[in-house]
Amino acid sequence: MIEFLELSKSYGTFRALAPLTLTVPTGEMFGFLGPNGAGKTTTIRMMMSILVPSGGSVRIAGLDCHRDAAEVKRQVGYLPDSPIFYDYLRGREILQFIGEMHGLTRAESSVRAQRLMSELALDQVAEEFAVNYSMGMKKKLGLACALIHEPSVLILDEPTNGLDPRASREVQQRLRASADQGTTIFLSTHILEMAERLCSRIGIIHRGELVATGSPQELKEKVTSGGTLEEVFMAVTAESEDV
Amino acid sequence: MTGGSATSAASGSRAVWLLTHLRLQRLANQMALVYNRRRGARKGRAATAGKQRNRWVVSAAVAFFMLFAYGNIARQSIINLHRALDPPGGSRFAMPSGALTEAMTRGLAMEWSLLFVVAILGALATRELAQPDWDLEWLVTLPMRMPLLLWSRLMERAIANLIGLVTLLPAGTLMAWISGYRWTAPLVGAVGIIPLLLLAALFRTLIDTGLRMSLAPSKLRNLQAVLSVLSVLLLYLVISIGLPQPLAFVMNWAGHFPAWGCWLPPGLMVRAINAPDLPAAALFTLLLISEVGICVWIGLAVLSFQLRNGVVAAGSRETGRSAVRAGNSETASRSGVLLGSVVQRRELRLLGRDRSFLVQTLVLPVIIVFSQIIFQGRIHSSTLAGVSNATVASIAFGIAAYTLMMSAFQTLNSEGGALWLLFTVPRSIESVLREKAQLWAVLALAYPLAVFIIAVIVKRHADIELVGFAAIVLLGVPIYAAIAVALGVFGCDPLAQEVRSKLRPTYVYLYMMLAGLYTYAIYASEWWQKIVVIVLSGLLSLALWQKARDELPYLLDPAASPPARVSTSDGIIAAMMFFVVQGITLAIFMAVTHHLSGKAIVIAYSVAGASTFALFQLVYWRSKTVDIPQIFGPGMLTAVGWGIGAGLAAALAGAVYLYALRRLDLLQDVMHESASELSTNPWIFVLAVLAAPIFEEFIFRGLIFGGLRRSLDALPAIVASAAVFAIVHPPASMIPVFGLGLCAALAFDRTKMLLAPMIAHAIYNAVVLALQVRM
Repeated sequence: MIEFLELSKSYGTFRALAPLTLTVPTGEMFGFLGPNGAGKTTTIRMMMSILVPSGGSVRIAGLDCHRDAAEVKRQVGYLPDSPIFYDYLRGREILQFIGEMHGLTRAESSVRAQRLMSELALDQVAEEFAVNYSMGMKKKLGLACALIHEPSVLILDEPTNGLDPRASREVQQRLRASADQGTTIFLSTHILEMAERLCSRIGIIHRGELVATGSPQELKEKVTSGGTLEEVFMAVTAESEDV
Repeated sequence: MTGGSATSAASGSRAVWLLTHLRLQRLANQMALVYNRRRGARKGRAATAGKQRNRWVVSAAVAFFMLFAYGNIARQSIINLHRALDPPGGSRFAMPSGALTEAMTRGLAMEWSLLFVVAILGALATRELAQPDWDLEWLVTLPMRMPLLLWSRLMERAIANLIGLVTLLPAGTLMAWISGYRWTAPLVGAVGIIPLLLLAALFRTLIDTGLRMSLAPSKLRNLQAVLSVLSVLLLYLVISIGLPQPLAFVMNWAGHFPAWGCWLPPGLMVRAINAPDLPAAALFTLLLISEVGICVWIGLAVLSFQLRNGVVAAGSRETGRSAVRAGNSETASRSGVLLGSVVQRRELRLLGRDRSFLVQTLVLPVIIVFSQIIFQGRIHSSTLAGVSNATVASIAFGIAAYTLMMSAFQTLNSEGGALWLLFTVPRSIESVLREKAQLWAVLALAYPLAVFIIAVIVKRHADIELVGFAAIVLLGVPIYAAIAVALGVFGCDPLAQEVRSKLRPTYVYLYMMLAGLYTYAIYASEWWQKIVVIVLSGLLSLALWQKARDELPYLLDPAASPPARVSTSDGIIAAMMFFVVQGITLAIFMAVTHHLSGKAIVIAYSVAGASTFALFQLVYWRSKTVDIPQIFGPGMLTAVGWGIGAGLAAALAGAVYLYALRRLDLLQDVMHESASELSTNPWIFVLAVLAAPIFEEFIFRGLIFGGLRRSLDALPAIVASAAVFAIVHPPASMIPVFGLGLCAALAFDRTKMLLAPMIAHAIYNAVVLALQVRM
């Protein structure tokens, strides 16, 4: 379970995230939508203790993401928007390293790395230096890093960004299957069809403020009385102040 | 159509100008970034680099300084060559003038050839070669024909070659000066070096294009590392000609430079500037221009050939050619022996693969230290056995300190953009950094060990002094590994795009200064001075580590900073302020009353203590600091009990020490002196029993012990704080005061009230003073 309790973030006078209160229950796949620069990545980075909240807190499985950062990460797998990897390390070695850092034994980590790489069709490039991967391959390697310790919570920033249609579909199926097995998934995306197809609930954030939440169906009925999700998105993120 | 062709004709020279302008603008932006980095500016979210007030002033000052420094070297080079190559007769410091002798022309041609190679290698060795993105890849997308594009590239690289300009321009100006030009010398020099810069740009472009098309990116990075070392060595070689004591073998080369070398572009430039008359000058210039012209013509043809299949080589990405072999054999063979932690193994693997990392961390420090020694003329090969132990020790520590600066200091930068990975694992960043500090401490220890072993072999014996120095150095390396990693947390910007702004120079200088201070432990004459330096360095490493640990959760946050907490470094600052204010107040008293009274000592002590106390309370209050040490609190009776108990224990130990001193007849004159002073000066009692406990306990127990306790277990914190407390006392009382430090810290740790150690301190001082007077 993920709980946001009045979580906020400012950069000087710029308010990146207004106090956000939201609960994502266990096993839910939550889609976090919003225009570029709305505060999606800022929110996600605070969950990973990459950024420090200016106010409030966010808790995962009852643990504070800032104070108990190390403990939280036992439960969490994270995929950033554009993952950067170490120079001079092969994809397999990076995955193995992350596994061992999560406390897996060397052998166990090696087995899981091998399995994940073949599942994500990375085995052809496993022995190449990861910096030379294409965007899509890096994204898949990042996903493998997020999955290697079999976390109960997945935090994914634009998970299908840069993937080819086939890979994108495979990843989506994989996520759906994980959620069905009880994994909580918090993902940000620009792709509305994907959000609609996958997520049981959606939150739309605009200029740092959560402007709408609900299941795709609810939002469509509530905001546009039966329009498409795209129309909902356009309506709640319109620039006029009275929305 | 005519209009169209006119535009495209105009765009030829314009393209050259635009590209050059772009390159210069980039250079200016880089300089602005380097010299205008303020914390506030960096923390902002905007892309602008903050205020740019002093940008041109600073850049101009740096440029002027560089030109002056290289000009000076060029001047001394000419004097040295003149002395070595021309028949004697002139004065020692004379410059030649007018037409040069043939030998001198050859010598200068040799120097210019070296400078020319430096201009090529220096430009080639910039990080540009190591970067995965190649600007030509997007330049070819511009609407320009290839020959024009290549021409513009040559021109911009000729003009924006900073290393070339800085080394060649002063030398060219001086060359013109000795050839009889006066106020036009800078102009003649500047015009004279244009063909050389163009040629350097051509060679550089040919080499880097060729390398780009044939080597994988990782190999390119490794090659860049090797090139950077080569260019530094070559630069040293050129500089060595201009040293007061030039290296003999280089001067020998100058004397034997082949005649044909003078007919290559660098030599022709020397001849053209130094030509005796106008026709000769015109002839040499013509020769120079045609040689450069032919080279450029051939070079452009080669470049077009290199780029015939496009600007991206087919195999530039590492492929899985060796996939199966590497994959299986490696896992199988390496799984047997596992040294170090996961993080350490990964670091070692990177070190094994990344030549640039390897060169930077393990090769460059040795080169830097030895070239400094050679240039300072401190060691001559004939007297290697006569090198003093202190010099051996300082070389050993110097190499280790440089190694740590290049490695441990940059731990965060070596993570770079991949730092996010460490935020996804259930480990604190501090624990990762600690493992890296350990690894680098071990690696850096190899150098001092090697230096000491070599020293023993050369000297054929190891005396006790050398062993002592070895101990000091080997103790210093882990301390400075911790200091380097901790300072690196503040001194590194792992997410910076620009290579040069990845390091904040202030912290690099701070580290170098601190490392320099440690050599005082080698050169100090008294043993207790050495101990003071070692203990203070150790404490400093703890204090800096603590500051760094507080900062770590905020590492990737551009806006937030950690809340204020009492830290060990506060304690160190407070202790320093306390002693400085005391000294100043005493000096004022002395100036007014012309003698040192007991009353003056007490007042100075109280003023210093009270002002330090007040200032820190004010600062803590202003910054809303948590966990400020309190004097009183709930359960005061227990605190009084602890205070009395600890005081009596410490006093007992002090009494035993005094008695032992008396029985062993040690330090009797010191004791007599202080006893006689005490009996005449009742004020000392007031100081010792009232003022000292209050102020010293606030600083040493409240701030230093309290700060240490935040990151250490009780026992090490107690011992470390007591050690610091002891070393700021006179040598004769260090041992019993160390005992008092232990007891007082224990009392404070148990009661969390300063009242307890204050009582203990008062009792100890009262008992020891009373005993001293009685004895």
